[in-house]
Amino acid sequence: MARLELRRLQKRYAGGANVLHDIELSINDGEMIVVVGPSGCGKSTLLRMVAGLESISSGELFIDGDCVNGQEPAERDIAMVFQNYALYPHMSVFDNLAYSLKNRGTPKDEIARRVDETSRLLGIASLLDRKPRQLSGGQRQRVAMGRAVIREPRVFLFDEPLSNLDASLRVQMRQEIRALQQRLNITSLYVTHDQTEAMTMADRLVVMNAGRIEQIGTPMALFRKPATRFVAGFIGSPAMNFLTLAINALPGWLTKVPAETTEPLKGELSVGIRPEHIMLTSSGSGHMDARIELVEPLGSESLVHVRPNGHETRLVVRHAGTELPTAGQLTGLNLQGPFHLFDRHGQRLATRPRLADTTCPMES
Amino acid sequence: MRYHRPGLDVLAHTILIIGALVFMLPVILAVLASTQTPGALFSGTLPLWFGASGLDHYLTLLSEPVRGIGVPAWQLMLNSLLMALGIAIGKLTIAILAAYALVFFRFPFRRCCFWLIFITLMLPIEVRIVPTYGVVADLGLLNSYPGLVLPLIASATATFLFRQFFMTLPPELMEAARVDGAGPWRFFIDILLPLSKTNIAALFVIMFIYGWNQYLWPLVAMSSADNATLVMSLKRLTISQDGTPPWHLATAMTVLSLLPPVVVIVIMQRWFIKGLVDTEK
Repeated sequence: MARLELRRLQKRYAGGANVLHDIELSINDGEMIVVVGPSGCGKSTLLRMVAGLESISSGELFIDGDCVNGQEPAERDIAMVFQNYALYPHMSVFDNLAYSLKNRGTPKDEIARRVDETSRLLGIASLLDRKPRQLSGGQRQRVAMGRAVIREPRVFLFDEPLSNLDASLRVQMRQEIRALQQRLNITSLYVTHDQTEAMTMADRLVVMNAGRIEQIGTPMALFRKPATRFVAGFIGSPAMNFLTLAINALPGWLTKVPAETTEPLKGELSVGIRPEHIMLTSSGSGHMDARIELVEPLGSESLVHVRPNGHETRLVVRHAGTELPTAGQLTGLNLQGPFHLFDRHGQRLATRPRLADTTCPMES
Repeated sequence: MRYHRPGLDVLAHTILIIGALVFMLPVILAVLASTQTPGALFSGTLPLWFGASGLDHYLTLLSEPVRGIGVPAWQLMLNSLLMALGIAIGKLTIAILAAYALVFFRFPFRRCCFWLIFITLMLPIEVRIVPTYGVVADLGLLNSYPGLVLPLIASATATFLFRQFFMTLPPELMEAARVDGAGPWRFFIDILLPLSKTNIAALFVIMFIYGWNQYLWPLVAMSSADNATLVMSLKRLTISQDGTPPWHLATAMTVLSLLPPVVVIVIMQRWFIKGLVDTEK
């Protein structure tokens, strides 16, 4: 258990490529932080820097107030679960679990006791004599977890540990990992590209893009109030829809407008609307008309892809109910709030409610 | 792959049997000839069955100093064995350590080191035998085991093969070991060596036979009879003083020289089949 403090961490490679810019993050004792972002955003590099597997180009990393920049992974007292588990293929499950303790000179009976305890905690007590190749994916995952848990480290690091599992096992394991982490109350840093995994597991979420942190907050805070257009598009499934609108001709359905700022707003802005906030209605009776291009039935609901008249972008509508619209039809769209407004650079705009007198006629 | 065509089976077996015979024939002839009396061998006909001498020639070779060489054959075999083991173990040790450094460590001129090792693949001992002799003579190592083994102890081939194998291992394995508190030596001994078992067994066979069959270098470096190896002595045996080479002894010694490599292959084969079944990358 520990506090983790990242101060202006940077990573530069010899060739001059700057992959991480000024990462500032502090993680509380026992907290589960999930770092999420598209591939290549630097999230794995960040994790490996915390682990001590990558050097820190500049900035400082503190664990419990000690600067650990120059320390080897083992000295930092962290444990890591790798994407491919990295179990030692020639060692039995017992030896895999015991290896780190052996390297620390733990007495034999102490090792046996802790392996026994850990393997029971993870439900792998019956597998101790097996080699990793005799285990299923889920069992390997558990052994990898066990190898991290057994040392009772100060910090847990997870590098996309569930991406090699099939979908149903992934759901089960993410619940197990979360439960275990809460039970042991160990400070954790978890990296994933899967936003569902991120939302369900995190105490706080860190969204990264192109080597920078876009936003830090609880999953629901990020969902309700994304700070940038990138976060808005990344969190939530299916992704948020965006419409580009000219600022001097905002349509009547938009119930919010940008708040007055010192700088006058010019040009265009984007409006983000979540798929569940668009309703299909009969053609001509909604805020705008659109043509249905694709219908994806999911059972309890369906995703309807529509192209509004006069717009280039396609919108996704979450359509409840079992009656499916057909592709090619014309439909009306009712757009409801909350709307998220972003400027040209993707930054969230402060808004104010729209006054009644500025209502525009319906867009056709 | 298996096709259910009897004709194909017959054809395949015919080809295999012919191939086996072609390879076996010289060995069979040597074994048969080594059991003949000297007189029977010089009658001019190829022996088709075991002769009257039985194992007499073998006993002679092993118990008495061999004519023209001066030491019994077991001494020669021991010399050969020491040389072959020295070369095989030396090559494996150096190659696996060099490959470990090349794959898992980042140091300046790493690629350059690899290419330097790699190009020595193209330099056989024959090309560098004169300077090698000079160096070994200057060090006073002629007619000694170190002098015999040291010039042959580096192997670009084995380094290259270990390097290729190490590169197939996921890098996370070393990272996991680092997180688990294993230093470079621990990782090498606890993880890399056990995983390389199969490769080590296979390369040991190849390198042992390579060492056993060395001819030119022992001939140059070992001029005294006490230090002669079996393979280089074969030639000396056939140069006889009275004009008729003792073919009965020469064939018997050839068969003796075949035995240790065969034993090594039989033992090691079991090992690397076990390795293939037991471990998985």
